[in-house]
Amino acid sequence: MLVVDELKKNEPHLRLVAVGLAVGLCILLAGLWWVQVVSSREYQSHLETQAYRTIRLPAVRGKILDREGRVLAENQPRYNLSLYLDDLHQPFDKAYGELLKAARAMQKQNIASAEKRLGRSLSKAERKQFAFKPEQLQALREASRVRVANGIVAQVSQKIGQPLTFNPVLFNRHYATRLALPFPVLKNLDVAQIARFQENFSGSLGADLELQSVRSYPLGDTAAHLLGYLQHDDRSDEGEESFFNYRLPDFRGAVGVEYGFDDELRGRAGAESLLVNSQGYRQSENIWSQPEPGQNVVLTVDLDLQRAAEASIAKHHGVDARAAVVVMDVRNGDVLAMASSPTVNPFFFTGGLSPQDMQREAARRADVKLRPEINRATQENYAPGSIFKVIIGLAALEAGLNPEKFYDVQADPTRSGKGCVYIGRRKIDDTAPPGEYNFKRALERSSNSYFIQTGLQAGADRIVALIEKFHLGEKFDLPTRQETGGNVPTPERIHEGWSAGDTANMCIGQGEVSVTPLQMAVVYSTIANGGTVFWPRLVSRIEPQDPTSREVATNLPSALVRDRIGVSARSIKVLHNAMLAETEDEEGTGKAAVVPGLRICGKTGTAQVTDERNRVVDHTTWFASFAPFEKPHYAVVVMVEGGTSGGGSCAPVAHDIYETILEKEKSGTRKLLAAAN
Amino acid sequence: MFSTGTTPRESFDRLQIAALVGLMLIGTAFVFSATMVSDVAATLPWYQQAWVRQIFWYALGFGAAGALCVVDYHTLARWSLVGYWAVILCLVAVLIPHIGSMRFGARRWIDLGFFQFQPSEFAKLAFILAGADFLSMPPDELKRPLNFWKAIGLMMLPFVLILKEPDLGSALVLLPTGLVMMLVAGTPRRYLVKLIVGVGLLASVFVADILFAPAKWQIPMETYQRNRLLIYFGRDYTHFALPNATPAELQRLRQRQLDDAYNVRQALISVGSGGLVGKGWRQGTQNALGYLPRAVAHNDFIFSVIAEEEGFVGSVVVITLYAVVLFTGLRIAGQTRDRLGKLVAVGVVTLIFSHVFINIGMNIRIMPVTGVPLPLLSYGGSSVLCSLIAVGLMQNIHIHRKGY
Repeated sequence: MLVVDELKKNEPHLRLVAVGLAVGLCILLAGLWWVQVVSSREYQSHLETQAYRTIRLPAVRGKILDREGRVLAENQPRYNLSLYLDDLHQPFDKAYGELLKAARAMQKQNIASAEKRLGRSLSKAERKQFAFKPEQLQALREASRVRVANGIVAQVSQKIGQPLTFNPVLFNRHYATRLALPFPVLKNLDVAQIARFQENFSGSLGADLELQSVRSYPLGDTAAHLLGYLQHDDRSDEGEESFFNYRLPDFRGAVGVEYGFDDELRGRAGAESLLVNSQGYRQSENIWSQPEPGQNVVLTVDLDLQRAAEASIAKHHGVDARAAVVVMDVRNGDVLAMASSPTVNPFFFTGGLSPQDMQREAARRADVKLRPEINRATQENYAPGSIFKVIIGLAALEAGLNPEKFYDVQADPTRSGKGCVYIGRRKIDDTAPPGEYNFKRALERSSNSYFIQTGLQAGADRIVALIEKFHLGEKFDLPTRQETGGNVPTPERIHEGWSAGDTANMCIGQGEVSVTPLQMAVVYSTIANGGTVFWPRLVSRIEPQDPTSREVATNLPSALVRDRIGVSARSIKVLHNAMLAETEDEEGTGKAAVVPGLRICGKTGTAQVTDERNRVVDHTTWFASFAPFEKPHYAVVVMVEGGTSGGGSCAPVAHDIYETILEKEKSGTRKLLAAAN
Repeated sequence: MFSTGTTPRESFDRLQIAALVGLMLIGTAFVFSATMVSDVAATLPWYQQAWVRQIFWYALGFGAAGALCVVDYHTLARWSLVGYWAVILCLVAVLIPHIGSMRFGARRWIDLGFFQFQPSEFAKLAFILAGADFLSMPPDELKRPLNFWKAIGLMMLPFVLILKEPDLGSALVLLPTGLVMMLVAGTPRRYLVKLIVGVGLLASVFVADILFAPAKWQIPMETYQRNRLLIYFGRDYTHFALPNATPAELQRLRQRQLDDAYNVRQALISVGSGGLVGKGWRQGTQNALGYLPRAVAHNDFIFSVIAEEEGFVGSVVVITLYAVVLFTGLRIAGQTRDRLGKLVAVGVVTLIFSHVFINIGMNIRIMPVTGVPLPLLSYGGSSVLCSLIAVGLMQNIHIHRKGY
């Protein structure tokens, strides 16, 4: 080759030098091989770590719809005005330059005045005192940035006609920790402000509008308890990247359907990476995983019935009424309406309320009596009172009670015109007058004496066995996280220190019996449909947000049978007739519920609420019903705390609901006929 | 065929010139890439842009080298001592506060307005010429100890002056150059061996003291130089903290360590992330985003920019071009008829090799950071001029090799 021939000419020194060169170059090549080829991936990842920032992008949350597809919860766009700092670093530098010039001029002045004082020029060491320390330069830099940002904010504020506050402390903190992200200056612009901003500032200013997606409940507080609310939570989900440099605000359901179906609603977050330069300014961005929008949740609830229930409660009892309504489809367990009063303002947690509203809402929530956060339909135990008598009646009928047999209710010596019954030495008052009662009359007049007697005759075991078949005292495992199971006597309980008096209490729905309105709705649906206990269903299906998406909707199974109470058709018929009489007969206590054109079977109830010293402090009033009598379809259970009586307080609410039901059916058939023609 | 009065000339060594042109092209391209990244740079008038200036220096250097080739190198060698002492004077001058300008804590340049004159670069060339002239005496005379020490003295004078600036890197390259020249000249082995062993011992003691000795025993040295050695050996700054240092002070030490290691770290990331084929010309992110500090990207760390943008392939190309220059230089050394030519050629080859090895080594952390430019690729007038004149010397020897 080139050199070797020359070196053969007996030049040992040159040969040595050549070898040395070759060795040196080979060392370099080996080192380069090691760094550039073998360790390349490691260095590339170092580069990415220092130059890339990852941002978690939450997905669009799914909507919640009623059974006919009407929107109950959705997302609204919210526009924020933000400063984009990467566009501003030239103005920052310029402002810094100006401030530095001024500072240097000041420095010169100081030196000059010091020299004048001393009468001589300063030595180098003395001059050093006037030199800028790094902290001073840093402060100058901060001041220049604040000045530029403040100027822009003032400009924008003038043009859009809204005084904007600029907080330098927040700005500096944002600059230090989240430089690559925009700095919000004004949140939630209204349409006029957006228009004014777009008109005046279309060019590059360093400030721009930023779009955020915010949960909104367009119907206000309708079905507020059922829907639930959201809380700030931007943590990663299972199976997601656990490390992000920045996380955009994200929410998670806390209670209600928002909680129970949070996984389906929130979709999957995406990720974006920003390329930042050595000072932290954003250079470019790249979305490497698109967020997957959440799915819509379709409830079984019917918005018309829900609204009717809530409006009716408010009309008859006011906004602060403590009440609950459950409307159920007896054929399959679908919950058509679930109302609880008082309601909560769903924007209490997500913001958007004025300070006075927030205060008022907070005071309401703190009220021990009102407790608006409780979903009274599922989350509170109440004594059922007389509406429990249908279970007693059914158990007695199954035990062989003859419904036509008359029973004599004796007169109450202390209260004229009212009956009573004695259990041992204890007297239990009856609201019905003394006289002869068969099953039908006893039910329509809600006679305690009759049912206590028949209950005692049937025996506590039979009653408790039937209660077990209804699965009272057990939870439904609702996805909404707002549930209690109620409390009923177990077979073990009635054999341990259980007296006839306890059975008597059970027969009239007091004592160790407590239920939730939803449980009673299931009971009455079972009675209505002839004996099948269905699981209540709140959500009918889950479907993709985008109708053109290729994903299919998931139908949740309906009409899931939990149990069958196994009573004879005859007993059911007797009970149905008796309940019909309750609303239609003159003597019936549930007259107020009647809607012309619809035959309703119902039962009123008034339970006593006692304190620990067994003094009556309140009443829980009920009206439980189903309709139509001929072919039961709907079950309506109304509960009002502190009402006067079931017939007086609750039946009118049921009346309004049944009216709405009838209207819907009529217009439904009208539409069908119209379509057919 | 022979013209009287002038020595006959052969043609230039074309291969070496081709490699040289290749290096100059690469230098232009990557100085461009390294400097034309900020918006500020784009607004400069063309005559102030770095890559244009680099082309200017190439042209000037090429012209100077060519002019030098007209004169036979023997004639040049006669003036070598004059040049040597002139350069020593400049080195002394640079140390005087008002003549030498202070930049980045070092006084290495004399500001001549349009040109930053760096005497240390020219000192290297002057030393080679003067040293070669001295060492080209008959080999028997070299065996005398006095001449040995004179040669050492010739090397040490500029070494110490350059070290005072301070410029450790430039001083260091004098050592292998001088040693190799002495070796090729025929200095007795045993002298050299003793010298190397002695220097090696001194260096080890020196390094050990820097790395391990407690504060009282430390040799006085500029802080930043000590820090560079510490970084190279991966030594934790916190080892040198006072025993009762608070956690805040330790944190500050660690932060300073990170800051000092910053350049090397960024250079490594640049080189490593280039991979096999690099990211493409002007597509390097380390430089564009400012991670590789702009102050050094276009001179000391220009190789990182090349490595990031052209990958391992690019690195190999650069090293091959240097190898061509070096080995053709050795061939020139082998083809000469007299010792002077051989010594000058070997001296130049070793000088260029030392620069290449230290600079590229610095970029991949096999050498501590010492501020040695990469010949012809780094931006800088003095460096380019001297590199081209050095190669011009080699060409000179090649052309005039048959001078009799």
